[in-house]
Amino acid sequence: MLEARNLTVKYEHRVAVADVSLSLNETEITAIIGPNGAGKSTLLRTLNGQLPRASGTVLLEGEPIERLNRRSISRKIAVVAQEAELRFPVTVLEFVLGGRFAWATHAGWGWETERDLHVAESVLRETELSELSARLMNELSGGERQRALMARALATEAPILLLDEPTANLDLSHQATLLTLVRNRCDQHRAAALVVTHDINLAAQFADNILLMKQGKTVHYGGPAEVLRPEILQEVFEIRVLVDAHPVTGGPRVTPIHEPIR
Amino acid sequence: MITNASETIASPARPNRVTLRKTLVSCTALGAALLLAIVVMSLLGSEPLPVRASLCALASFGTSTCGLSQDQFDILFQIRLPRILLAAAVGGSLATAGAGYQALLRNPLAEPYLLGISNGAAVGTMIALVFFGANEWTRPILAFTGALAATFVVYQLARGRAGATPERLILAGVIVTTFLSSVIVFVTVLMDATRIRSFTFWLLGDLSGSSRALLPVAIIIAIVGALALTLNARSLNLLMLGERDAFDLGVEVGRVRIVVFLVASLLVGSSVAASGSVGYVGLVVPHLARLSLGSDNRISIPAAALGGALFVIVADTVARTIIAPRELPVGAITALIGAPLFIYLLRRA
Amino acid sequence: MRARLIHFLAGFGLAVVVCFAFVGCTPRETANPAAAREITDDAGRRVSLPATVDRVVSLAPNLTEIVFAVGAGNKLVGRTTYCDYPAEAKAVAEVGDTLHPSIERIIALKPQVVLVSTASQLEVFTQQLQSQNIAVYVTDPHDLEGVFRSIGQIGEIVGTKDQANVVVQKLRERTNAVEQAVKQKQPVRVFFQVSGEPLYTAGHDSFVTDLMRRAGGASVTADVPGAWPKYSNESALAARPEAVILPTGGSMGAANASVAEALRQSPAALQGRVYKINDDHLARPGPRSVEGLEELARALHPDAFAK
Repeated sequence: MLEARNLTVKYEHRVAVADVSLSLNETEITAIIGPNGAGKSTLLRTLNGQLPRASGTVLLEGEPIERLNRRSISRKIAVVAQEAELRFPVTVLEFVLGGRFAWATHAGWGWETERDLHVAESVLRETELSELSARLMNELSGGERQRALMARALATEAPILLLDEPTANLDLSHQATLLTLVRNRCDQHRAAALVVTHDINLAAQFADNILLMKQGKTVHYGGPAEVLRPEILQEVFEIRVLVDAHPVTGGPRVTPIHEPIR
Repeated sequence: MITNASETIASPARPNRVTLRKTLVSCTALGAALLLAIVVMSLLGSEPLPVRASLCALASFGTSTCGLSQDQFDILFQIRLPRILLAAAVGGSLATAGAGYQALLRNPLAEPYLLGISNGAAVGTMIALVFFGANEWTRPILAFTGALAATFVVYQLARGRAGATPERLILAGVIVTTFLSSVIVFVTVLMDATRIRSFTFWLLGDLSGSSRALLPVAIIIAIVGALALTLNARSLNLLMLGERDAFDLGVEVGRVRIVVFLVASLLVGSSVAASGSVGYVGLVVPHLARLSLGSDNRISIPAAALGGALFVIVADTVARTIIAPRELPVGAITALIGAPLFIYLLRRA
Repeated sequence: MRARLIHFLAGFGLAVVVCFAFVGCTPRETANPAAAREITDDAGRRVSLPATVDRVVSLAPNLTEIVFAVGAGNKLVGRTTYCDYPAEAKAVAEVGDTLHPSIERIIALKPQVVLVSTASQLEVFTQQLQSQNIAVYVTDPHDLEGVFRSIGQIGEIVGTKDQANVVVQKLRERTNAVEQAVKQKQPVRVFFQVSGEPLYTAGHDSFVTDLMRRAGGASVTADVPGAWPKYSNESALAARPEAVILPTGGSMGAANASVAEALRQSPAALQGRVYKINDDHLARPGPRSVEGLEELARALHPDAFAK
């Protein structure tokens, strides 16, 4: 659905992403992991058309992304950012309804339809925010706000979800809930998701594909078992790791051993 | 907590939204208040007019004198009413522009006066007065140009790596305001002493000018400007929460930014050309609108436009009656009311 | 502990030294060593002057005109850029404008006295000038009588008192002539328009109000507080003045060339009784004010002066 081919992105003469290719397919969750400065978020922002590319192409359902207008891209791709700028008081419901903008019949104007409200209410239920829908966004906790961001992205009904460190502020229970939500979306609505995360084990548990990046380049790209191998991880993160099988899920479990390699 | 499925249908969340109905009701109420203000304030002034006869003449839209003497009729229809309508246009324009800047720049403190845009328009008007004095159409045109130039400079100054943060914006606004104030003082000093007094008065906001041709222009611009920004209200709602997020959700950020800057500069330019710098309107009125009706621009922009018109009409009536037959600059009154009001709002927030 | 005490004493000592320095620099009222006489100016200040004054700076156009009128033009060493009358004044060195003169230039010209009208920002530079032993003399005439007094005072300062008295005598004769001519006439309701948009007029404290009264006019704004109030358009319309005076020309240039919008339907405008008078004759309290008086009287009561 969303494909990047030989993508290179420059940020003020510095190469942030160098010749990266990946492809997001229906029902698949792809995780991007790597150390700081690897270019993960830059890659994500280039995929939705926000950052300009130095070279390479981004294809949305086969179309080069620069040929599409902003609204049609937003109907297909939704971004869940790390945090929201909340300088003005806005209720959770109003916030989530913002996700329906791309479907407004008159750009920039118009009122929300019954359908819009219905979608909003159902995503609020999905993210367990229904009782909070009348509260102001800045009265919510960090975790609740993150869920609201997720709800807004889900409200767009976009089949492609790009999530930038979505679990950063969430407690354990909500981390799992959020990714389960993503998983369900992918399974039931045939969505594709891209998750940029620092949490390797979360990636291991939920992702179908993992892209491991370092300094803008692809180190490895493939299934969790392929990518999460100790020698690869040690080279990228410069720390010793132990990789074993997770006792419950059976997938790889990565445990860092805290002595940095000189 | 587990939510009951049936509860969500009748959830208390729905009434908090801004709906078309809510907007129409609020705007009709404000519109009615505005109409009432126009009528009542036209009965007040430095010369007393008979109430009954004046109301009758107003109701007849000036076709019948209803017993008013020729002088009284002229005072009502040639001096007071045009001035009140100009006050409405100026107030509506400045409040709308303020609301637009606040949404676009994501800063509740953004205001044409504080950002130096009013001063840019004032410099433009001064250039028009000094070099093209005779042709009064040059004033709003050059005021608009000045406002646009100031907007451009403020925006460029405020942009950093992280975008225009509120702090950088205020800083940029202060720099531009103070610089342009110095320019204005410089030009004023070059003027001869007799002009200085009247010019200083104008700078503080003066609605007594009687440019007959420019009044309809000011009114049209106020209405068109408010409409233009309201039609982008939904985009502005999203922009208020971050340019990046708005972009992700489908807003054409660049286009909306240009529209808001152009429209707001037009509104500020037309107001300043007609009446000098009337401060605080663009700050206090949109704030009040958002506090009472919510941050949704679909309701707060039209409400600000109507509320701004109301505010300046009342302030101007005070300015022209309180030390009658002398007059105060209306900008002094808006500041006297606006500043304490703003402090009160800040403390409540 | 000891270190802190030392610091405190040092700071205190420094403060004391600074205070004494300021006290030492404060100019005493009678700082002028060659002071031979004292005169009280219009601001109630006692001004010390040397017995003879040969170098005078004038910081207002009306004062420059007075200095020349009393025959002391050769003693004028400095003037403002606006001091353009009489023609000989233009040869005198400029020291800036009325509101912001250059103190350095004034001091460099080594005058013994600086003549100032209240339009200048007195407080700002009086201290500086006095510290250089330059006397500052303030004039503040509110009416024609005050102008005559100023002429006499300046004549006394520059040592041409007799000539000054002659000048004042002649001006009084002309003034009396005007007042006699209009004595029996009904005062004309007049509006003095300083500027049309925004509308400014002459108020109770204005010098021009006195002129208009003597010229046989009744200013419709004579009771309005202040000297140059901004006036309501409505009240101007309701006042229905019979004549409108437009001070124009002179240093005002082409400004104020037409009647304000609010007065277009006034009896004055409809009967063509709108009179342009040289602003310099009305705005400068000096010898030419009597010319202004005569022009006002001729405008308001033409039949009293028909030859």
